Amino acid sequence: MSKKLKNSLISLTLIIAAVVLGIFATNKPVKSSSSSDRIPIVFWHEMGGPSEDALEAVVNGFNKSQSKYKVIPKYQGSYDEAIQKILQTHGTNTSPAIFQSFDIATAQMIHSKYTTPVQNFIDKDKDFDIEKIAPAARSFYSNDGKQQAMPFNTSQPVLYYNASLLKKYHITPPPVSPTYSDITRVAKQLYERSDHKTKGMTVQIYGWLLEQATTNAGQALANNDNGHSGIPTEVKLNNPSTVKFLEWIRENIKSGDFINYGSGASAGANQIAGFLSGKVGIFIQSSASMGKLTKNNPNKLGITYFPHPDGQKANGVSIGGAALWISNDKSKAVQQGAYEFSKYALSPAVQAQWQKSTGYLALNKDAQKEKILKDLYAKNPEAKVPGQQLADAKPNYVNSGILLEGMQVTRQLEEVAMEEAYNGGDIAKALSHADKNVNQNIATSNRANGYK
Amino acid sequence: MITSNKPNRLNKVLSYLLLVVLAVVILAPFFIGIWTSFLPTMDIAQGNFFSTKVSFDNYVAAFTKTPIVRYLGNSLVISTLTMLAQLVFCSMSAYAFVFLKFKYRNAIFILFLITMMLPFEAEIIPNFTTVKNLGMLDNYSVLLIPFLTSAFGTFMLRQAFMQTPTELKEAADIEGLNHFQIYWSIVLPYNKISMITLGAYSFLGAWNQYLWPMLTTFSNDSRLIQNGLRQLQSEETFNDWGMIQASAAIIVIPTIIVLFVGQHYFKSGMNEGAVK
Amino acid sequence: MLKSTTPTMVGSEAKAKKKRHSFSLNAKDKYFALLFLGPSLLLLSVFVFYPMFRTLYISMFLTNTLGKTTVFNGFGNYATLLSSPEYIASMGSTLFYVLAVTALTVSIGLLLANLASQKLAGIGIFRTLYSITMGVSVSVAAIFWLFIFNPSTGFFTIISNALHLPVINWLTDPKMAMWAVIITTVWMHLGFTFLILLGSISSVPTTLYEAASVEGASERRQFFKITIPMISPTLFFVSTITLIDSFKSFGLIDLITKGGPTNSTNMLVYRLYKDAFYSGNYGQASSEAIILTIIIAFFTFLQFKFLEKRVNY
Repeated sequence: MSKKLKNSLISLTLIIAAVVLGIFATNKPVKSSSSSDRIPIVFWHEMGGPSEDALEAVVNGFNKSQSKYKVIPKYQGSYDEAIQKILQTHGTNTSPAIFQSFDIATAQMIHSKYTTPVQNFIDKDKDFDIEKIAPAARSFYSNDGKQQAMPFNTSQPVLYYNASLLKKYHITPPPVSPTYSDITRVAKQLYERSDHKTKGMTVQIYGWLLEQATTNAGQALANNDNGHSGIPTEVKLNNPSTVKFLEWIRENIKSGDFINYGSGASAGANQIAGFLSGKVGIFIQSSASMGKLTKNNPNKLGITYFPHPDGQKANGVSIGGAALWISNDKSKAVQQGAYEFSKYALSPAVQAQWQKSTGYLALNKDAQKEKILKDLYAKNPEAKVPGQQLADAKPNYVNSGILLEGMQVTRQLEEVAMEEAYNGGDIAKALSHADKNVNQNIATSNRANGYK
Repeated sequence: MITSNKPNRLNKVLSYLLLVVLAVVILAPFFIGIWTSFLPTMDIAQGNFFSTKVSFDNYVAAFTKTPIVRYLGNSLVISTLTMLAQLVFCSMSAYAFVFLKFKYRNAIFILFLITMMLPFEAEIIPNFTTVKNLGMLDNYSVLLIPFLTSAFGTFMLRQAFMQTPTELKEAADIEGLNHFQIYWSIVLPYNKISMITLGAYSFLGAWNQYLWPMLTTFSNDSRLIQNGLRQLQSEETFNDWGMIQASAAIIVIPTIIVLFVGQHYFKSGMNEGAVK
Repeated sequence: MLKSTTPTMVGSEAKAKKKRHSFSLNAKDKYFALLFLGPSLLLLSVFVFYPMFRTLYISMFLTNTLGKTTVFNGFGNYATLLSSPEYIASMGSTLFYVLAVTALTVSIGLLLANLASQKLAGIGIFRTLYSITMGVSVSVAAIFWLFIFNPSTGFFTIISNALHLPVINWLTDPKMAMWAVIITTVWMHLGFTFLILLGSISSVPTTLYEAASVEGASERRQFFKITIPMISPTLFFVSTITLIDSFKSFGLIDLITKGGPTNSTNMLVYRLYKDAFYSGNYGQASSEAIILTIIIAFFTFLQFKFLEKRVNY
């Protein structure tokens, strides 16, 4: 036995030595052998579920369309997790050549100076007409008159309802641009008429929705025009518009027609599962959920604009989603390849297919002429709603996003305030408390970064 | 209860009843998980828990649609290598502490003890920078090199080595063996059980790593199974419960088999060390 | 993870001192020592000692967007933390979680071990079944329990609906979410604790019980007067191990609640992770790391001290 142990220990040591040596000898990310003669373009993204399948189709399409580059997609989890990974791996051989970074990290990405503005490539490219790309999306990711990143997956928050259930219980559907009370009515009727079997509505505890509600009421959250005319120094969540939004939810919680799925990724998934299985009739979510909601849904899907407060006009919501950024720590050839890929991803046919499979809006104007989208609208007229909502909104500082570093912390604090409100806490108090923390964080961050 | 000398029939029945009830409670999450792994996701989503549409579809999906095999392979390699490395390095350090005389021996030993007081979780920020600067990110080496040795393992083996009978060493001395020979042919074989116990623990410890691999791996080529499952869960936002439960079952079944086989060693190893 | 830090601390320090054997007082010993200890020392210096000092250093600074230290802040980060109601609440919930997990794991483990130590036919099967959760990893435990707790289609919800009981919002109610994490943690740690306690109970000399039986002591009395005192070192050992491990809990929280709702499960390590790798506040996260280290070092030290004493009596 002792001999056996000895022998095995010797062989083990040898194995370790071999493996450790092997690792150091090939200390490079594993790449597939088929790409040997092509330039590999590592692409980090955060698309899960059906959107990931759709994104992989885009990547495969690009790889087949040319023979110079090979894009290698790598899923990085949630948007939130990806940002620090991108910043902290910059300059190493594992960092991506092109990456997807979400709307609220825009300020961070610009200030990091880790990226090459796509404008530099566009200026040298005669084939690409940036004017074809939706202006609202373009302006969101530009700064100093330069296109910093290529807008990519762009969504609108919309309200979904189970049209089959409404029909079954003879409930008049909400109008296309509903007020809070329109939704309350439908939710209550659904809850009562289904004999409490179906909850009327839910609103996920998600800071984005709170920001959009405030935006739709025409209220800016951060000073300096939501950061568009200077670095913000103060955020005010405790404002009448936000309070009104939370009071609306509270009213529905009190009447029992509201179900709370909580916060986080699993909450979003549970909410969709609940909606598909007819446990809840109404929810608010990104238009990008449409892919999941049309696939395997036995019921008819209804869509409206994001609801707005009673007695005032909707200001329109801002876009959500993410853009494609090109890292500047890679060789010129790799960066060029990354740009080629982003250009391909925005071509009309690709964008049309992308909207059809995911629910993200096609950003290239010519995409609307594609047969895929025409067929889609003919079959599902409601698929047009998010695009119309975007078109209806007149761009202003309030609905062009918040250019603030530390939006991730802000969102977490917003969500804590929402949770408190949902669980019966004092709304104004919860919001002022969030304000205090957000502003403290902004002050620290501005000090650390040397912003005045 | 401990020594029921009087074979009281009622007592016995009650004991068995209690044993069975507790076993059912403890095993329930397994049964529920494994049962749902055979159901179609749509039935699970609709709360149709007693569906009769039982199939292996979820398992097929887990194996074909997800990189779970790659994750499992990565975890197996990393855990095995970590285990082997810790056996070698910990036993070497333990040997030095017990059988070698050198300056600052006690001071160095206290240093080892101190490292057991410092949680790795609190050091991830500089460690991330270190592995980044060494070019180890997203690579097997980042999962392996920081864990090649362990102060705990050294401590545990030191305690065991100290009980090696003096006669064995005297005999070795007479034969004129050098330290390598004594280490290989006397100390290690004599402490076989402790080595196996440490091996099992370092394997399980590596297998259960979560935070560090999550921070330092970015692709399926190097992702470990624990993070892989997290990835599947977040990736499948549609919540394909059936497939996720199947993936969990695929992971848990082998470890449980290993555990049953190795249980004998676990128990004796643990009792030897912990329960003096 | 419970399984990573493990038992066998109960050494025989005292015995060792008496018969510390060395083969030969060879001058070559120091070269061998360098050879044998070198690799471990190097690794520990790079990955344990250096980062501790580095963390201390970063904790005195503010960090910018890129995560670089920029403005010296002295103990400012600590002051911010300790004056923040959220951090104090996080500390409080961690303490609650740690105590609940330790108390439940050890008492249920003890109950199981006591039951399974009976000499009954087929008891081996139960011993195996009770230790089964040792083979369950974090992600698997989380996924099994997530399904059970799922608000719309989970097992508990199905049962409650079938029995017409009110549905408990396990994951959205702050209090219940804490319990959801506690239950999962206890379940996961149970197999290991059970096995250690079983070993300890089995090693209590049967003559003690026989004598007590002759004197007519009830089984309950025997349990409290003989079993508990005899296994108290092991009880202390498993308690501190569970305590220290629960302080470091991360995986289960990440998978089950992500620190929510209303930060109710945002415990120390999870908070540290989020502040650093979500929000990029590396300075503040480092000061959290130092505070965490102090807490864990304190309990580990306590454990060392106690074990030393037990062996010396």
